[in-house]
Amino acid sequence: MGRKKKKLSKPWCWYCNREFEDEKILIQHQKAKHFKCHICHKKLYTGPGLSIHCMQVHKETIDKVPNSLPNRSNVDIEIYGMEGIPAADLREHERQKQGSRPTTNDSGSDDDEPATKRPKPEGLLGNAPGVMQGMPPGMVPGMMPPPGMAPGMQMGHMMQMAQMGSHFMHHPGMHMMPPHMQAMMQGQGGPPKPLFPSAIPTSSPGGPGAPIVGADFKPISSAATISAPPTTNTPGGSGGDGKSNTIATSSATSKIIHPAEDVSLEELRARHPRYSRNVPSKVDEAAASSSQAASELAIAVSAAQQAAAHHQQKQVDAMNQHHAAMMQQRFPIRVTAGPPLMTMSAPMMAPMRQMMPPTLIGGPLMRPPQLSMPPGMLGMPPGMVYGAPMFPTGPVLMQPRFR
Amino acid sequence: MKSQTEYKLKSAPEDAISAVKFGPNTNQFLLVSSWDGYVRLYDVTANNLRHKYSHDAAVLDCCFTDAVHSYSGGLDTALKSFDFNTTKESTVGTHGNAIKCVEYCSEVNGIITGSWDHHVKLWDPRTPMCSGSYNQGERVYTMSVCGEKLVVGTAGRKILVWDVRNMSYTVQKRESNLKYQTRAIRCFPNKQGYVLSSIEGRVAVEYLDTNPEVQKKKYAFKCHRIKEDGLEKIYPVNAISFHPLHNTFATGGSDGYVNIWDGFNKKRLCQFHQYHTSVTSLSFNHNGSVLAIACSYSLEEDNLPNPMPEDIIYIRSVTDQETKPKYSS
Repeated sequence: MGRKKKKLSKPWCWYCNREFEDEKILIQHQKAKHFKCHICHKKLYTGPGLSIHCMQVHKETIDKVPNSLPNRSNVDIEIYGMEGIPAADLREHERQKQGSRPTTNDSGSDDDEPATKRPKPEGLLGNAPGVMQGMPPGMVPGMMPPPGMAPGMQMGHMMQMAQMGSHFMHHPGMHMMPPHMQAMMQGQGGPPKPLFPSAIPTSSPGGPGAPIVGADFKPISSAATISAPPTTNTPGGSGGDGKSNTIATSSATSKIIHPAEDVSLEELRARHPRYSRNVPSKVDEAAASSSQAASELAIAVSAAQQAAAHHQQKQVDAMNQHHAAMMQQRFPIRVTAGPPLMTMSAPMMAPMRQMMPPTLIGGPLMRPPQLSMPPGMLGMPPGMVYGAPMFPTGPVLMQPRFR
Repeated sequence: MKSQTEYKLKSAPEDAISAVKFGPNTNQFLLVSSWDGYVRLYDVTANNLRHKYSHDAAVLDCCFTDAVHSYSGGLDTALKSFDFNTTKESTVGTHGNAIKCVEYCSEVNGIITGSWDHHVKLWDPRTPMCSGSYNQGERVYTMSVCGEKLVVGTAGRKILVWDVRNMSYTVQKRESNLKYQTRAIRCFPNKQGYVLSSIEGRVAVEYLDTNPEVQKKKYAFKCHRIKEDGLEKIYPVNAISFHPLHNTFATGGSDGYVNIWDGFNKKRLCQFHQYHTSVTSLSFNHNGSVLAIACSYSLEEDNLPNPMPEDIIYIRSVTDQETKPKYSS
């Protein structure tokens, strides 16, 4: 019987070296003895947790874990049960156990059942198949610890080790890292498991078969969007009436501090006359790489913009003419180069469309412009000033200040 | 709050600050674009203004390409470059509408601009011309580059992921997981994913890998909200900046707060004091020891405050304790 059996040690508390029959009791002990807030007696889960709690709730700093041994009082090490104990300390503990109880070890040479005896951090490391990538779960418990490895090391570490190969031993610094950090370092390998079961992701039950990346702009997984009740009108279908989307900014208990119109704060600011003063009616000359239609479009739009500049004191008649002209310009190319065209023309058309009945807009072929964007944000022609009558739907944000 | 950890930059812009960006290898130089039509270069250590150059209209974004060259764009639709050594400025090209985002991509040594004209354009700094124009389908609101990946956030809550080495097709098209307008997107320095913020006090952490196992890790959380008399005020999250080393990030909101988060461990690392008005832009320096915080009122509310809050840039020293994930001690 030359084989030296290493009896697995009981779970023990890193903070006070006390041993326990089972890790659940150990965790209870730690919460009661070491992770309890001395001010409000709330039981936290880890030393850092306690430290953060005291910092945030009571504005007090904790520099020592309560009731801990002098050299084990570090509040920055995240320890939960047997999880997170620095490997060096695990080894040291084991060595001391060996020394103090030399006789117990050789007795039961056949009680080699590491799977059951080993402290198993249930629910901490998770038994999700994803963690065990490429390694049959059954292998782990039966595996003998490689030479030099502390026998007390738990499954979690072993798994990590298996994944990381022999490099593990050559990087002493790594021992300090909790398993989820290691998982992170392996790129996308196993998902880093949160230390607390409660901190599971809030989303995406997306099964393996779920379609992922679509060109349809659906969320990346089957999970629903994360947030409060729906607020914006359906995007895309919105532009048809010439109004921009609005955000339901107020509810009974909350208020979103944002203008009701669903455009960016920068666009709202840019509408202000103060900022439109110097906007040149430049044509996009760099459209070389775009389609030819686009450059044609640019010229057309530029012409329209210049024209618009002349008529800035907009009479409805004049605008109608414009509008018709623009429609004719845009119609032939619209099919080939929809979005850029709309970009340019939409802002000018939007206010007008609100001023006249739809029948005036054009012939049967000329569909109302599809405004997928709110009016007034883009390509504001020089000198054109948005005021309340032109833009009845908007919040007319700047007005109070300049009246 | 006056302290040695934080100070105001002198000769601040005279209108709202649109962007602050630290130089690539220094914590000395900070590039600032403003609605007053100027791009300014500050020496942060000496606390003075080194250079400024102007656009024809408000400047919405700027970036360094190296220590002495900057690019900027704004409402005048022109992309300008400036050489701080020779103080030579030039107009590189234009968009069809205001340029909202200007980013430098070292991977392809190119400038990337995003505009309200629905397009993203690539520019080669050596031959100052546009080397590609790509339709995003909507107005570009925010943009971030990490490595070869370009993540574009547009109006209508769309997210487009591109590979800058091959812009012939869109790698991914997504809809934002947040229900409200996208405000900012920044990529994790480790290239695994990105952080997205909305106008509704919420931040999402998303992963680029489409593997369902990886996608399970994504999540979103509420922040930048203030409860007052039973009414919860929810503020836009305007700014995100990643710590270059720790993969943690700072968010700045219209509530005037800056929070630092550990996205992988779902923890808030710290919160600074409340600033006097909205935080519009944030930038960590190259080693993450300093955070520039731009504060400008951004017209979130229909009733303008009187007097209008000052436009101020704070330079704040941050420690590892504030920015480093707590577990790896």
